[in-house]
This record gives sequence, C-alpha cells and structure tokens, in this order.
Amino acid sequence: MLEEFGRIVVAAVIAWILFLSIDIFWRLPQTGGVSGADAIGKAIAGRGGDQHGGWMMGNIVCSPDASAGTLLAACGVFVAGIPGGFAAAILVYIGNRICHDKGYAGTSGALIATFVVAGFMQVGFLASDFIAGMVLAILTIQGLSHTHASRLIGYIWRWRA
Amino acid sequence: MEGLIAAAICLIIALYGAIRTVLERNTLLRLPFVNVMNFGIAGLIVFILPHPLTLVAAAAYFVGSTLEANAIASAYARRKPK
Repeated sequence: MLEEFGRIVVAAVIAWILFLSIDIFWRLPQTGGVSGADAIGKAIAGRGGDQHGGWMMGNIVCSPDASAGTLLAACGVFVAGIPGGFAAAILVYIGNRICHDKGYAGTSGALIATFVVAGFMQVGFLASDFIAGMVLAILTIQGLSHTHASRLIGYIWRWRA
Repeated sequence: MEGLIAAAICLIIALYGAIRTVLERNTLLRLPFVNVMNFGIAGLIVFILPHPLTLVAAAAYFVGSTLEANAIASAYARRKPK
C-alpha cells in the first residue's frame, strides 16, 4: 500500500516535469491564446501573480494542452496499452481543433507521455500511477495557489525566453 | 486492489477542486479549480470502467468541459462593463 503511494508520488514528479517542459517548449506562457485565456491570465496577475504564468494557466484551462495529453495518454495506456496512448493522442488533437488551438502541445504531449508511461511500466510502475500522478501534478499548478504557481511558471519561462 | 488508491486520490482531488470552486468569488479565477476537478473526474471515469471504449468517454468529457470553460471565460471577458 505504501509502495503504491510512493510510485504515485514519483509518477507525479515525472508527469509535472514532462507537461511543464512541453508546455514551455511550445511557448504557452508567451500570450493568452484565446480571449478567455487572456482574461484569466490578467485576473491572476491582478491578484499579484505573474502575467506569463497566468497566461499559461489560462491556456491550460481553455484548451487541452500537454497536461491533458499526459492524462489521457496514461488513461489510454491503462485501458489498451500503447495503441490506447496513440488513440488518446488522436482524441486530444480533435479536442484541440474543436477549441481553436493548433494542437501541437497536446498532441506531442500525448505521444511523448505514451512512451514515458510505457517505459516506466517496464521498471515496475503501473499506468494507474501516472493517472493519479498527473491529477496530483495539475493540482499543484492549478489548484493550490494561483499566485505562487504563476510566479513559478513565470520564473521558468524567463529562464527559457 | 491495485489502482484503488489511485482512484481514491482522483476522487479526493476532484472533490477538493469542486469545494475550492464554490469558495472562490471571482468567476475567472474559479475556472482553474474547475480544471482540477475535470482532471480528477476524467481519471476517475477510466478507473470506474476499465474498458478500451472508456477512453473515448473520458476524452469526450474532458474536451467538452474544456470547451465549456473556454466559452465561459471568453463570454465573461467580452461582457459589457456595467
């Protein structure tokens, strides 16, 4: 039982690094992609958060990005193995197109996450660990403190830009 | 029994997101908490019914709720100031 907790925490750290690096690679914090994401970013900045971090959090809310790709890829590997991960990537791409997004971050996130989850399954992890891990990872970004999370993303973004 | 703790974590985080959504006063700042809830529910759907087609249900739920959040945020951003 404790072993599963440990695996979930490790999976959360891996999923956190994975989706944040893919999102920042595709320049999600640069600007609010749609008017809603822009407004959420400005609302977070108005509470004392970082503007770029706020835009990235708005983009995560308004379109399936690499975090959604990681979650659905882990779900796909859980129910149907590696082909399920590819199916999840297709579904995320369709979802991105519905939400007027180009779909690079979500689709590439789902494809990379499929291989990461399948690789860690070879060393004793379960796909279910990555589902719970991704939910924990999104909790730390979107659910605890918008101000602190946006400042952290802004710090990483300035380091990349 | 494997996966039971993972399902419980998804459920608890989804409930936490729902509670934070109700407590937050600013409509735009509620949406990230709704996003947390959506992640938890999408994971939970797959745990409750582990079948290949469940993936389509989880993706449909997640994309639909994201589209709704997108619509709420853009409509709220474009509303006329009173």
